[in-house]
Amino acid sequence: MEQTRSYPVILYIYDMSRGMARQLSPIMLGRQLDGIWHTAIVVHGKEFFFVGEGINNCPPAGTPLGEPDSTVDLGSTEVPEDVFMEYLFSLAESTYGADKYNLFEHNCNTFSNEVAQFLTGKTIPSYITDLPSEVLSTPFGQALRPLLDSLVINPGGNNITGQR
Amino acid sequence: MIRKLTPDPSCSIGGIKMADQGAADPGNNNNNTPEASEGTIIKVTVKTPKDKEEIAIAEDASVTQFKEEISRRFKAKQDQLVLIFAGKILKDGDSLGQHGIKDGLTVHLVIKTAHKAGDGGSTSASSSTTTQAGNTSTSSPGTTPSSTAGSTGNAVPPTQTPNILTGFGDLAGLSGLGMGSSNFMELQQQMQRQLMSNPEMLSQIMENPLVQNMMSNPDLMRQMIMANPQMQQLMERNPEISHMLNNPELMRQTMELARNPAMMQEMMRNQDRALSNLESIPGGYNALRRMYTDIQEPMFSAAREQFGNNPFSALGGNSESGAQPSRTENREPLPNPWGQPNSSNPSESGGASTGSTSTTGGTNPSVSNPLGINAGSLGNGMFNSPGMQSLLQQISENPQLMQNMISAPYMRSMMQSLSQNPELASQVLMNNPLFAGNPQLQDQFRSQLPIFLQQMQNPEALSVMTNPRAMQALMQIQQGLQTLQTEAPGLMPSLMTGGVPGGVPGVIPGGVPGVIPGLIPGIVPGGSPGGAPSGVPGGIPGMPTGGGLPAENPASSPSNAGTNAAQQQLMQQMLQMFAGGVGGGGSATTQTPEVRFQSQLDQLSAMGFINREANLQALIATGGDINAAIERLLGSQPS
Repeated sequence: MEQTRSYPVILYIYDMSRGMARQLSPIMLGRQLDGIWHTAIVVHGKEFFFVGEGINNCPPAGTPLGEPDSTVDLGSTEVPEDVFMEYLFSLAESTYGADKYNLFEHNCNTFSNEVAQFLTGKTIPSYITDLPSEVLSTPFGQALRPLLDSLVINPGGNNITGQR
Repeated sequence: MIRKLTPDPSCSIGGIKMADQGAADPGNNNNNTPEASEGTIIKVTVKTPKDKEEIAIAEDASVTQFKEEISRRFKAKQDQLVLIFAGKILKDGDSLGQHGIKDGLTVHLVIKTAHKAGDGGSTSASSSTTTQAGNTSTSSPGTTPSSTAGSTGNAVPPTQTPNILTGFGDLAGLSGLGMGSSNFMELQQQMQRQLMSNPEMLSQIMENPLVQNMMSNPDLMRQMIMANPQMQQLMERNPEISHMLNNPELMRQTMELARNPAMMQEMMRNQDRALSNLESIPGGYNALRRMYTDIQEPMFSAAREQFGNNPFSALGGNSESGAQPSRTENREPLPNPWGQPNSSNPSESGGASTGSTSTTGGTNPSVSNPLGINAGSLGNGMFNSPGMQSLLQQISENPQLMQNMISAPYMRSMMQSLSQNPELASQVLMNNPLFAGNPQLQDQFRSQLPIFLQQMQNPEALSVMTNPRAMQALMQIQQGLQTLQTEAPGLMPSLMTGGVPGGVPGVIPGGVPGVIPGLIPGIVPGGSPGGAPSGVPGGIPGMPTGGGLPAENPASSPSNAGTNAAQQQLMQQMLQMFAGGVGGGGSATTQTPEVRFQSQLDQLSAMGFINREANLQALIATGGDINAAIERLLGSQPS
């Protein structure tokens, strides 16, 4: 009963600043950032992402962010949905619980990266995962760090986290 | 340093535990290059969501062997292990080399929580829930008596056990189980019992991602639910349920609700909030009134039992007091106020635009005349209508009714909110069809508003209304006035009908929250535009004050409906008298507002408010309170 179907895995990339980062970042940060990236993994017909509430899912492009600004095809996975959900569930209990969210260190992109690796063995593009460090390398980012650390993003969706 | 291939639990490579069997390699570094001498031993990191371990395995080993090692290390059964590498699932028959697993790479592991039916280790709940997943339909409606939707699919065991072996009803096993296992019903019942005894479990089940998956697929849910014979019965009995099931949106929402008690509370709260918001918006109050009618009805029926008839139908002879003021534009032609006159008062109904027809007894309620108030009878201070009379009688006979009405919580809160919010009150009253055709009335009333509201709040006033003897006395007064009116029409030239005391009985029929304020102002100034011959009330303040009032009433020329100021004065005086004099018949102040507010006016103009008219209005509206008047003035100034 083991099937070896493969399921496509896509990375959805959203620019949360709606283009403002591209315009304002040289001024504010001193370096060019093309966007404030939020990512989600779309597999098995659903979009999964990690936010302040924990791991959430929703129909693809179903968050208030709407359609992604770009997508990356990560290939496909053989992991069936049940196993995947089990995996996510364990993640939600351990390293991706609701209280583990940190805007810089352990955010949606961290999650997407990890899930992508789990599913396909590939990582997500580095410009996304490098974003926090880029920001923090600017004096502005450093100054704002305490504030930003307390920011938690919650764009909605259905929560997976086991313990609430 | 040779690391043996044969599985040796105590042997750990490099990383976690130091091998205690003479493995002298001190390296804790996971990425040590293997100094394999025989076979190529590779170190593969096996990563679960919760932790990871490094496992040494021969390069050419099979997945099965790999799994053996892993099962030992992770303390899990081999068939619970799902290995994923590069997106592929490692099947037992494969070899590591096939998948390109080399040294230092990471393989992902998911440990399935494999519960099988009848498995001794698992709780009956989980075992039955696994069967649930297999046989989707049946138990779902039965198991969730408390859930709103009654339609939750409980497919997965609750995540009670904290270890990683939870949360996953072994679907592989389930599909087999679901195929008509003889244990099935039993398990199902167990499941139901469990659920009913432990609501906590239910919420846990809800939160399981598998359940959520299923629940987010309304078609599936519906099928599940409908396949249950119990459910089918239920559906036959209540067609609404089937309707609900067929509406995917609704189902989804209810499932969400069931899943999330916090959300349910939120919804309740939102409803309450919405209701209270409704109260405060101008048109919304009418809608609430409409709603209240639904409450009225039972109240009436209850009252009816006591009195034998609907007290409100007695009011205007209404067949039913259910006609509600519509929030939309009223297209009904306003009643003809000059229609067939009632008995001896041809022009009294001049101003009162209330009655739809002029039948004496009563009128059918219409949109513009929700109470079916008869203009004709109104001119007489509507209390002449037989219905009114009987109502008054009833009231006096049974103080309880009045008591009940006054103390009805909604009335109290309504009155309070009205008094706190004169704007709202005036809006409500303006909407009242009594005023619909008469701006004068409106103005008049607006000026009386604060006093009137105070009056309503005045416990003495309330006690008067509840005191049967007081009511009777008022009735007598009214009757006396009417008699006077008929006997000596010339005596009270500009007096108004009904008047304040009439206003009191006018309160009575207003069991409906919105009616009372509507009636009282309707009644109080009701006859005023009619001015001339109708009125009586002028006599009332006149009497206690020893006739000082008529003398005081300068501008009240008999048939002049336009003497707004004079009428205002009169009204005000009456109201004041009533408000202040219920308890003890104090003397009414007979000064005009201008005189009374002289000092305030001066202050206002000194402050720079030069519009004397507006100042006066504001002062009148606020009862002389300068600060409030200023606020009114500022608020009404065009910005």
